[in-house]
Amino acid sequence: MKNLKLVVRETIQSTVVNVSGIEVGKDFVVIAGPCSVESEKQILETARAVKAAGANMLRGGAFKPRTSPYSFQGMGIRGLKILEKAKQETGLPIVTEVVDPRDVSWVAEFADVLQIGTRNMQNFSLLKEVGNSGRPVLLKRGMYSTLEEWLNCAEYILSEGNPDVILCERGIRTFETYTRNTLDLSAVPAIKELSHLPIIIDPTHSTGRLSLIASMSMASVAAGADGIIVEVHSNPEEALCDAEQALTPDIFSKMMKRLRPLKSFLNNLPTD
Amino acid sequence: MKPEEIHYKINKIDRELLVLLQERMGLALRSKKFKESLSDPQQENDMLARAERLNLDLIKGTFTRRLLKAIIEETKRLQEEDRSLAAFQGEHGAYGEVAARQLVPEGAYIPCLEFIDVFRGVEEGYFDLGVVPVENSLEGAVTQVNDLLTTTALKVIGEVNVSVSHCLLATEATDYREIRQVFSHPQALAQCRNFLMRNKLEPRPYYDTAGAAKMLARENPRAAAAIASSLCADLYDLEIIKEGIEDGPSNSTRFLLLAREPHPDNGNKTSIIFAVSHEAGRLYAVLKLFADAQINLTRIASMPLRSDPGNYSFFLDFEGSDKNETVGAVLQEMEGLTKWMKYLGSYPAYKAVS
Repeated sequence: MKNLKLVVRETIQSTVVNVSGIEVGKDFVVIAGPCSVESEKQILETARAVKAAGANMLRGGAFKPRTSPYSFQGMGIRGLKILEKAKQETGLPIVTEVVDPRDVSWVAEFADVLQIGTRNMQNFSLLKEVGNSGRPVLLKRGMYSTLEEWLNCAEYILSEGNPDVILCERGIRTFETYTRNTLDLSAVPAIKELSHLPIIIDPTHSTGRLSLIASMSMASVAAGADGIIVEVHSNPEEALCDAEQALTPDIFSKMMKRLRPLKSFLNNLPTD
Repeated sequence: MKPEEIHYKINKIDRELLVLLQERMGLALRSKKFKESLSDPQQENDMLARAERLNLDLIKGTFTRRLLKAIIEETKRLQEEDRSLAAFQGEHGAYGEVAARQLVPEGAYIPCLEFIDVFRGVEEGYFDLGVVPVENSLEGAVTQVNDLLTTTALKVIGEVNVSVSHCLLATEATDYREIRQVFSHPQALAQCRNFLMRNKLEPRPYYDTAGAAKMLARENPRAAAAIASSLCADLYDLEIIKEGIEDGPSNSTRFLLLAREPHPDNGNKTSIIFAVSHEAGRLYAVLKLFADAQINLTRIASMPLRSDPGNYSFFLDFEGSDKNETVGAVLQEMEGLTKWMKYLGSYPAYKAVS
């Protein structure tokens, strides 16, 4: 871990990223919402539902880095305006992905947290740009990346003067094909050992299977993660992307009822 | 030219035709104030004949006649509608028009170059109503208007608070990532300074916010945007890239509605202007009258008297109508205490609709 200066843990003190009063790194934070912004109706419905179930922030992509150039690429700035509207109504801060360095300042006008996706983890010009954006950054782990490479990317953002980085483990490529990726839960305590930055889990993209999301969310809490980011769609059958892995508001709500009590229970366990 | 480029240009021309027609209708409504009879067949025929003689290879004379006839018919219909002509300062889409649309819902909104044109026009009967800004919550008094209020014979018959929410506007063809310069009134640019800096945009002063939007729509300069009201987006067919781009807490401007005759009913708010002589306790004596009568003042402002340097006029707004007995008594007592006093009118106070 040589060359790392700003992200390494030197004291017991951990970074707390404040997003409109929500403290990532202190509270257990749940970020929920659809893969992409498709319409005003879809976003408002989903935002209301996840808010009612106890989510802390709303996610939704307006710029989508898709595997295929022919897949839906996102609504762009129109999508950002819809997210802004949902924020005005529900009060949920917005987490949204940015894929192009030229978009960073514009997305920052609408979003509360800028997300760097797994495919862009090592897009260094993009990292420098978000480092100057004045907004907290959610940095997803590259699907082929080591912890050291990942932390180096966080180092890029911090070295530009932005201390507010939230790491997000979203699964890595292994030989297993049953799951979409393999969720590396050990990354949570490992990152806590190595760095002072908060880390959350993406149980949706790591498993790619609806039936596994709730279990992995519970496991994230147990592993000591600072939160989860999970896909919820008001009507998954109509989703333009990732339809097979989005939770319905109903399932999400049931999961949330188990998640929070687990967190309280763990908080009350004796520490060693 | 590519097909989509041709299509785009045709759309633009159609829009400009409509904007020009709107301008024409406005002028026709204004001409009504001069003319005794609405239609002048002789003038109409001359105009049609002249237009027909225009040697345009693609526009046939018969088509010209049909088209202009239709426009003339529509003009007459509009003239008969008898809408109130409400004048405001600025181009179409200015915050003055936003205020006018709220104060005079069924009016015809006439843009004027200067504030004095609004005052003169109403005084001389070319317009029915005038809408002028008196103060802004961030920038303070609009001195030109306050000055004109001291000299005009017009009455205040209404007020409205317009919250100024600036929008970044650009033509549909403009990629927001390529915007480099932003045109607007210097005051609007100053209110959005941080936004411009964050996005590395160069402010370009322009005479008017709505004028900048109009210029953008007409000339479509490269890599440019404008800061103006959302009404301008509708009027000039511009895209709103971002709403509410002002840095500070949202500011609002208070507009007054002016007419030649006072408000017919009992208002619940009154505006007056007065001056007192340079003697100790004079201003206090006036204000004490209001305090003793338990009348709440909503605005007090002083302005240098242009006609008399070194002396000031005071603008006073308070709750209550002049038809109210207590208010009437106070106003009467005031006459004796002031050097000069002017009653602007009683009118319904603005109530924000939530």
